[in-house]
Amino acid sequence: MANIGRRGFVKGATLGALAITVGGAEIIISAGEARARGVPFRLLDAHQGETLEALGETLVPQAREAGIAHFIDQQLSVPPQEALLQARIFNFRPPFAEFYRAAIAAVDAGSRKIFGRDFAQLSAADQRDFVDRMRQNKIEGWTGRPGATVYAVLRADAVDVVYGTMEGYEALGIPYMPHIPPEKRW
Amino acid sequence: MANEKVDIVIVGAGASGSVYASVLARAGKRVVLLESGPDWELSDLISSEIWGRRIKPAGAPILLEGKNPMTYAAQGGWGVGGAALHYFANFPRLLPTDFRIKSEHNRTHDWPISYQDVAPFYDKVAREIGVSGDAKAEERWRPAGEAYPMPPMKTFRNGDIWLKGFDAVGIPMVSAPVGMNSIEFNGRPACLYDGWCHVGCPIGALANPQITYLGEARKAGAEVRALSTVTRVLTNQAGTRVTGVEYYDARQQKQLQEASVVLLAAWSAQNPRLLLNSATDKHPKGLSNASGLVGHYMMSHHVASTWAMFDEDVQNHMGTIAVQYMSYQHYPKTSHDGAFGSSFITAGFALKTTDLANSRPDLFGPELADYMKRAARNLAGIKAFGEEQPNMENRVELTSEKDEFGMPLGKLIHTYDQDAVALWNANLEEGLKVARAAGAKEAWSARGSIPTSHLMGGTIMGTSVADSVVDSFGQSHEIPNLWVAGPSIFPTAGASNPTFTIFALSRRGAEHMASQWATLTN
Repeated sequence: MANIGRRGFVKGATLGALAITVGGAEIIISAGEARARGVPFRLLDAHQGETLEALGETLVPQAREAGIAHFIDQQLSVPPQEALLQARIFNFRPPFAEFYRAAIAAVDAGSRKIFGRDFAQLSAADQRDFVDRMRQNKIEGWTGRPGATVYAVLRADAVDVVYGTMEGYEALGIPYMPHIPPEKRW
Repeated sequence: MANEKVDIVIVGAGASGSVYASVLARAGKRVVLLESGPDWELSDLISSEIWGRRIKPAGAPILLEGKNPMTYAAQGGWGVGGAALHYFANFPRLLPTDFRIKSEHNRTHDWPISYQDVAPFYDKVAREIGVSGDAKAEERWRPAGEAYPMPPMKTFRNGDIWLKGFDAVGIPMVSAPVGMNSIEFNGRPACLYDGWCHVGCPIGALANPQITYLGEARKAGAEVRALSTVTRVLTNQAGTRVTGVEYYDARQQKQLQEASVVLLAAWSAQNPRLLLNSATDKHPKGLSNASGLVGHYMMSHHVASTWAMFDEDVQNHMGTIAVQYMSYQHYPKTSHDGAFGSSFITAGFALKTTDLANSRPDLFGPELADYMKRAARNLAGIKAFGEEQPNMENRVELTSEKDEFGMPLGKLIHTYDQDAVALWNANLEEGLKVARAAGAKEAWSARGSIPTSHLMGGTIMGTSVADSVVDSFGQSHEIPNLWVAGPSIFPTAGASNPTFTIFALSRRGAEHMASQWATLTN
């Protein structure tokens, strides 16, 4: 791989998405492994990470264990032209972190208004109820991008970490059949 | 910093730019291609939906407005090869009726050329880069031409299972033409049918620019400068000729590239953005914009998707992202009562897990997990691409916001008219009939917002400055050494996937440019 200058763009597949710094050394591990090792977030604070995990798990079971918060956090920390987030496909303007911070704030504000607590503190049933309302833009006083958009983006992120990996294909019994397999089976 | 003058500078190293580069470099011209994204190689094309996003747009965004914003990012390109690095390589052609909508239906405008002007170039492109299909079978709907150089691709149960349903509603389906290798072709291997086409085919079975025209161009001496973002086309003081372009290189240094000819091949939204941003006192509305039409008549295809669950395993992981079957049966513009426009009907394509999840966007939680297990075996889809008529109000314009190089961002405003909405609904209703007749256990339409696919228009071709920006070859009506290529010169959209036509029109334009070279450089 070659750092070719502009905006620090790095073309290779081994740097970028899931390079995690552990003990001062940069190693390639999956987002799920990063979560299991307790790797600190780069940009998210603990509450934001907890909320993304709760949202991800509500949207796609096993997203928490698959490391959705670490995946998003790591992707937000690389230059936007290297980011692999669905936000890119949704034509969001970088920095993508602004979307996630605003979405988490809107979700918590809505959750407190309806249930009196932050989203991550709700029961699984209430989390599901909230997400269903958010999906249909049925949360009063919602601010920022529509709830349906937040639903679509976070659901896509959760689908990525649970079903977009080689392990995800295996879990569904779908042959992956890569020409060039991704690093760390991504 | 000024660079040595070249014969032609091409802005954009995608499908159209690569054709021009090949033809002109092989004609002995000194060619430089400036590409805003990275210089991807086949070895960069990782088989992953997640990693595949690296080759999707990442430069200055186009701001989206209107009732039906053009969601272009999934289809756009970033880097050498452009969108054709990850295109699906469906190669249907336009039909004669597409060139004569004004004459036949008194709507919008005719092309300044006929199908017969383009047909030889469809055949030439097919011979050069390889197309698999059954031309004879297509000729029930179109004039005869050459046979494709390769037999049709393999089909799979996810395509075959629909044939009974189409037959029941009176729609004959034939093998779809694709820019992929059903057999080894020109030293490139046959397809493996693993469905990773949309993130880039690294084995060379799919005809992307890197292994076809751009590869030829490089061999003939064309130079590709990646991470080079063009911000202006420059003119002489009199405004009668272009003299080159201004661009920012990989180190964000401003560069000047003089050239005898400038070709804009930067995609339908960027070509008008560049022309508008190149305004001078002699061209106050932008270059080649005396008509006021630069940026106007932006068009898209609306896609009517029908999904169905079948009782059997349809092997939906097998095949290509390109379709297995196609039909022009409803291509005549008035095929559906109460709607207007062509429809191009397709069936049979490989699915990835993202596709499975997106086929039921309303599901989440345990219901989604259950659905994914069933969809992995039993889900298949069909799609009808529908024509949108050109509308002046659908346009690209500059905004007051600037990109990192100080260039105004483009804003793309797009709303479907009633013809498009009616046609999309008609195609969805028909899709359900097909699914039921095919024996689907469950079937549903992909409703919600109307999809936009295949951005076209913005610098349309025509007969004069009164009705268009360029002529049928892509040459500016106003500045003879300024040319434009790609889908932005389409004056109407048809319903066929556009890249085969992009290649054919570019081949035609490039040959004409080469033959007229002396007149361009004097």
